[in-house]
Amino acid sequence: MQNRQINRRNLLQLLGLTGLAATAACAGPGSTGGGQGGGAAEPIPSGPIEGEISFAHWRAEDQQVFEQLIAAFVAQHSGVSITQDIAPSNDYQSTALQRVRGGAVGDVFTAFRGAQFVDMVKAGIFSDLTGLPVVDRYSAALIEPGASDGKQYGLPYQLVFNMPVSNLDALEAAGVSEPPADWDGFLAMCEALRGAGFVPIAWPGGEPGNAGHLFNSMVMNNAPSPDMCTKLETGEYSCTDDWFLKTLDQYAQLRPYVQPNATGTAVEPAQQLFASGQAALLATGSFHIAAVRALGAQFPVGLLSPITTSAGEARYEGIHNATFILGVNTASDVRPAALAFIEFLSDPVNAAVYANGTGQHLTVSGVAYDNPDLAATAGWLERRTLLAPRFQFTDLDIRNAVENACTQVIGGTDPRQAAEDAQRVVDQRIG
Amino acid sequence: MTTTEVDPRQAATPAGARRRRRGRGATRAHPALLLFPLPALAIYVVFFAIPTVQAVQYAVTDWDGFSATFSNVGADNFRRIFTADDLFANALLNNVKFMLVVVVFQTAFALLLAVLLVKNSRGSILLRALFFFPTILSSVSVAFIWKFIYDPNFGLGNRVLDGVGLDVQLAYLGEASTAIYWVALTQVWFHAGQMMVIFVAGLQAVPAELYEAAELDGAGRWAQFRHITWPMIAPATAIVVAYTTIQSFKAFDLILGLGGNPPKFSLDILSTRIYTSFANSEFGYAAAESLVFMAVIAAIVVAQRRVLRLTQKDV
Repeated sequence: MQNRQINRRNLLQLLGLTGLAATAACAGPGSTGGGQGGGAAEPIPSGPIEGEISFAHWRAEDQQVFEQLIAAFVAQHSGVSITQDIAPSNDYQSTALQRVRGGAVGDVFTAFRGAQFVDMVKAGIFSDLTGLPVVDRYSAALIEPGASDGKQYGLPYQLVFNMPVSNLDALEAAGVSEPPADWDGFLAMCEALRGAGFVPIAWPGGEPGNAGHLFNSMVMNNAPSPDMCTKLETGEYSCTDDWFLKTLDQYAQLRPYVQPNATGTAVEPAQQLFASGQAALLATGSFHIAAVRALGAQFPVGLLSPITTSAGEARYEGIHNATFILGVNTASDVRPAALAFIEFLSDPVNAAVYANGTGQHLTVSGVAYDNPDLAATAGWLERRTLLAPRFQFTDLDIRNAVENACTQVIGGTDPRQAAEDAQRVVDQRIG
Repeated sequence: MTTTEVDPRQAATPAGARRRRRGRGATRAHPALLLFPLPALAIYVVFFAIPTVQAVQYAVTDWDGFSATFSNVGADNFRRIFTADDLFANALLNNVKFMLVVVVFQTAFALLLAVLLVKNSRGSILLRALFFFPTILSSVSVAFIWKFIYDPNFGLGNRVLDGVGLDVQLAYLGEASTAIYWVALTQVWFHAGQMMVIFVAGLQAVPAELYEAAELDGAGRWAQFRHITWPMIAPATAIVVAYTTIQSFKAFDLILGLGGNPPKFSLDILSTRIYTSFANSEFGYAAAESLVFMAVIAAIVVAQRRVLRLTQKDV
């Protein structure tokens, strides 16, 4: 009797294990669907502009403006509906590839420049847009980050300046009439601002993602070549090289000029310090101008990047980035409609609605900028700016290690020690 | 294996035979009953067993999470975890620090609250509800609240220090050597009330006669706690400690809420490290990290149960 019960249980266990093993054998790497793989993207077929479009992106702050544009698009195409699928930017960075590759969401999707774009192209999620009329609506030089192997896979839509935003009233109060042309001038400006009662730099050192924007300006003129982050990642450059140590030494010199306990400050309090007029610079970028306006900032703003060399050695005046790379999902079953929506967003009139409504410069040609902040910073579109180098990193751990070295130095760590710690991680990552 | 011995004399009688037949009939399951566990079994297989087996399968590959091709790398991923990954070692160390603080302080605080609020008076019930309240909040909300408490510029923490006249302003999450302990404090605040409820249930199940007898024997409060309460709440303690340990290793959303994504290395714990590896398109390696993660939790929980069994013997 007892023996028969045990045998039955054993039989059940055996069946369960067999089923489990069989199922596991069927599932495995590469067996999940979605994407073409290896970038073998087919051209978008022509077809009716109809169906339900999912638009996946990370700009929750732009939701209302997009709704306005979507309503206009839907009014032109009665058979279309569009739903925004919005994730916080950090989550989007981590999970978008997996979420959009099956095509259930993200018929139209966006990608960050750098690692995410590279991986999405590798996964075959981007349809090939090469040669389509929509590409001609963009400034050719600014959409290169959306190209790979000679093909235009995506259209970087936003043009942002990842360099400190300045309170022009505060600069005037401190007697700073011209942006400093060299490092000594920058330190003197910080000293003058401090003397006038301002926190010279509000820096969100508590959030790696936002703290790293300052890194762009700090390395742009120090590094021997503009692809310094790619070279750090390949091992050609090292964090213990002189140029990087010099950068870290300069971070150490900034310690008295950032807010107290800056390494624990999140981005919202940093914005608040700037918006309330307590801080003269916000060391993030132009994409936060709209946020500080929403916090009540009334003063005129500008952009001001630290020049870390002498005036004669400086190759760049600032930093720009072309991001929010629009793409049509290869796994989408409404690709003609998805392309039509991107064409609609790329029309200069519609693009102007987005630009002025969100306070972003765009890569679309011929956009009229009515927003006073955009108009005030439009001059930077013509200046010598470097495409933000931190997005050259394709390995998040290497990027974090390198940028963390800068944060550690602001927090009091010896620059050489911070450089060695970072390089140890880099060495392990590149094997 | 156990067997039941039957008295041969009894078995020989018709009544004995009837009992045997009745007994046999009572234990035999109707074949249709075997269908009842199937839904639960199917859910378990699909959502737990298969992913776990798949994790083993992925862990020996270099799959990036989206390519159709991959290579089998054998034990290389595990070798890298144990010998050439400072970030994993750092996350493990952070997690152990976090766990120790949370397990010790959360358990002690929850037990203290439970002992103080064990009686079902109105005041106790109200206070229990108050202490339990944080548990019903989402971890994102908790992280949001504490992020502003810990903000060095406008946060409540430094305002309080200033208000009581202490001339010190802290960086909280910005100080690499102590950041993880501030997150642990948040975790204790978040879950101590939940653990208190488990302890209250355990304390209320202790027979009052034991305390009466101990009082007659002249035992004081501490002796009563040590020789009656502590051994009698062993099952509750085991649940609390095991659950708190597992919670400590899975405090993923709290860390991301407080420290951003990806968090700084000073706030990186195993679950966030694995998530970063996934985000870094290293599925194979992340799967290997996940298996090590499971093994670490299992080892710690088993060790804790043994320690508790030793300390909660009736001394």
